[in-house]
Amino acid sequence: MLDAMSTTPTPPPTSVMPALPAMPHTSGHAVLEGRALRKSFGPTVALAGVDIAIGRGEAVAIMGPSGSGKSTLLHCLAGITRPDSGEVHLLGGRIDTLGERGRSALRRTRFGFVFQFGQLLPELPADENVALPLMLGDVSRTRAVQQARSWFGPLGLAGLEGRRPGELSGGQAQRVAIARALVTRPAVVFADEPTGALDQATGHDTMRLLVEATKHNDACLVVVTHDPGVAAWCDRVAEVRDGAILPFRPARGEVRDR
Amino acid sequence: MTRLLDLTWRLIRGGGSRGLLGSSLTVVAVAVSTALLLFAVAVNVAFAGRAERAAWRNPVTATGTPRALEAVRVEFAGDRVITVVHVAVLGLGVRPPRGVSPLPGPGEFVLSPALARDPSAARRFPGKVVGTVGDDALVHPGELVAVAGHAPGDAVMTATWRGDHRLGVSATKVSGFAGAQDNMAVGYRVLAALAGVLMIVPLLVFGGAAARLTVARRDQRLAALRLAGATPGQVVAMTVAEAVMTALAGAVLGLVLYAAAAPSLQRIEITGGTWFASDLWPGILPVAAVLAGVPLLVGLSGIAGLRRVVVSPLGVARRATPPAMRFVRVVVLMGALALVPALGAGARPTTILVVLTLAFLALNFAGAWVVGLIGRISAAGARTPARLLAGRRLADDPKSAWRTVSGVALTGFVAGFTGILTPSAEAGSDRMTALLLHDVRVGTLVVLAVSFLIAIVSAGVTAASSVLDRRQTYALLRLAGTPLEVLDRARRMETLVPLTIMGGGSILTGVLCAAPFASLSPSRDGVLTLLCCVVLGFGGVVAAGALTRPLLRAVATDPAPRPD
Ligand SMILES: Nc1ncnc2c1ncn2[C@@H]1O[C@H](COP(=O)(O)OP(=O)(O)O)[C@@H](O)[C@H]1O
Ligand SMILES: [Mg+2]
Repeated sequence: MLDAMSTTPTPPPTSVMPALPAMPHTSGHAVLEGRALRKSFGPTVALAGVDIAIGRGEAVAIMGPSGSGKSTLLHCLAGITRPDSGEVHLLGGRIDTLGERGRSALRRTRFGFVFQFGQLLPELPADENVALPLMLGDVSRTRAVQQARSWFGPLGLAGLEGRRPGELSGGQAQRVAIARALVTRPAVVFADEPTGALDQATGHDTMRLLVEATKHNDACLVVVTHDPGVAAWCDRVAEVRDGAILPFRPARGEVRDR
Repeated sequence: MTRLLDLTWRLIRGGGSRGLLGSSLTVVAVAVSTALLLFAVAVNVAFAGRAERAAWRNPVTATGTPRALEAVRVEFAGDRVITVVHVAVLGLGVRPPRGVSPLPGPGEFVLSPALARDPSAARRFPGKVVGTVGDDALVHPGELVAVAGHAPGDAVMTATWRGDHRLGVSATKVSGFAGAQDNMAVGYRVLAALAGVLMIVPLLVFGGAAARLTVARRDQRLAALRLAGATPGQVVAMTVAEAVMTALAGAVLGLVLYAAAAPSLQRIEITGGTWFASDLWPGILPVAAVLAGVPLLVGLSGIAGLRRVVVSPLGVARRATPPAMRFVRVVVLMGALALVPALGAGARPTTILVVLTLAFLALNFAGAWVVGLIGRISAAGARTPARLLAGRRLADDPKSAWRTVSGVALTGFVAGFTGILTPSAEAGSDRMTALLLHDVRVGTLVVLAVSFLIAIVSAGVTAASSVLDRRQTYALLRLAGTPLEVLDRARRMETLVPLTIMGGGSILTGVLCAAPFASLSPSRDGVLTLLCCVVLGFGGVVAAGALTRPLLRAVATDPAPRPD
């Protein structure tokens, strides 16, 4: 099914979606690591010292009540917001001290993003929306669009290449956004309530696609979600309460027990 | 209804700083439009006033019993023009011209204040000065006018004037001193009307754009209101109420702006003099009409922009491929332009005005279509993301792109039109022709200045509002690492590409329209003016766009965008 992604370093899969074993949680092999992250907005403490490590190919769901600091954590890890104190490391290199330009370039090349909605440019057809990050990275337009289109089939978007975002359903638009997040082959994909605006069934389908496509590309996934069913697709759940992470628990095992 | 108004008002106030910024953009746009509209109206009123006040110096031969003789001579004191009106009373009951008192008897003089103050000029009129020529009889405040009293048999009352008709009128038997507006004054009034048309059309385009600004930004909120159960009627009422309230604030501000600018406008010299303060006051009725008309037009324009929202509560949040605009727009332009050569130099002024207005409107009508075409072509050939984005946006919403550049494009039309109509200085050998040329140049410059003001303000306002409208997408793109420069470059291209093509095209159209009225060899001055226009226009639009850059930065660096 994911044949179009055959330009990935990994060979194309034979089965639909291989159920990869969860990566061991060791900070030594972490792709992305946050250490003692603190962040306040005026008197509000959004992050009160968070340690988190995401291993190679790992998908981590961040859960917690509204206002607990999930988005802030995601923004700190992704180099969108600078933490007040603490460190963020990507593949062993520190990234939170980079300048705005450096972090911007990092986000463009090493990270992919899926937001709740509104990230697609309404003026561009779907394929050009997906091609945009490649073109920003100096890939020629023909190649960028060609490469972008190769994602449409595997993500169940065949035939929708020329549609505008306004002509797509919510689920389709999110899948286009997933394609755009993955097209640059990022190290980490960040998603902040990517299915929050979708109905439950569509949300599940989309989330499953997100998790599997990310894994298939050897990328890590950090996804904020409210839906325990959605979290079940991930390797691990990080529960956030009042700006701190509760003790770690694996997601898959728990779901399998049910 | 009052509850609806109350809700509207609360929504305006609750819009937050960005909502407020959006509303102020509309207020500014409407204020500038109103001020310039008042100016365009005032120009016509002012020239009409001048023509009226000068009428008494253009004697009309009596049809009944003649009661007086009137002759006119124009003299020169250095650079300055002195108008001398010679009068001799034949019968009883002759009233002096309005503003002149009393009528001088033989050997007596009545002098204008400026003339009386100037001893070297006043020395020409040795005799008893019995009164003054008041403002009502003066073309402009500093005008040098003398009324000389004579006996009917005096030389000047029997001589026939054989010189230039602009420098003298032979003694004429008149029944009174009401006179009639002379050809020259009527000519100026036609030119003023022309200037009015050239200024008002871009203003209407701009005003319409300002109105749609409010509506466009409200799209989502209105859709939400519809979803919450508001009837289409209520939605329309609320939007129009908001647009009209904003426009009314803008119109009042515009009146203040105009009043503030009037003292400087008063000092513009035409026909050798400046203006009375009252000349630039268009009058209660026209001002009231503008103050009421502008919000009304803005409201109507808002309704037009609302049609999509009202149709469906979901219709606006999603943007679909826009229906292609029809080629018919260009056909209309071609049709209008085909009419122009049919006009000879001998065409009646009203015909010229009508055709010119038509050509101007047709240019505006065709503009959007051409911008859409430019967008499709440049998107197809785009290699960089900025160019692709710019091209797609032009194709996506050519009307709003056209609104940004239409000011300059229409100015290009004006510049092309007047550029070739401005005769070269060598042609004016005598003083009166030189004066006329000076006036045409000043008039041209004023019209161009106004057009530029409109163009630049409209470019700035549209650029700012387009940033506001796309703020969420911008912020998210920025979060995903898109460099600000790409967004900015796309924005700049979105304006510059159509500007280059449409600007050039409009100048050509303007030249084409002016061709029947002028010798086809453009003067050096005209070409120079045109060049300055091009440079100023581009510079101004680019600068206006650059000024909105901090806004883009602010919108795009919002650390964590929230749906608003
Ligand atoms: N830009 C901001 N300004 C002020 N307070 C903020 C800002 N962003 C987040 N907060 C506050 O920080 C806390 C955590 O927010 P957030 O990370 O968005 O929570 P979550 O995503 O878990 O709902 C909340 O109390 C929120 O009000
Ligand atoms: Mg959140």
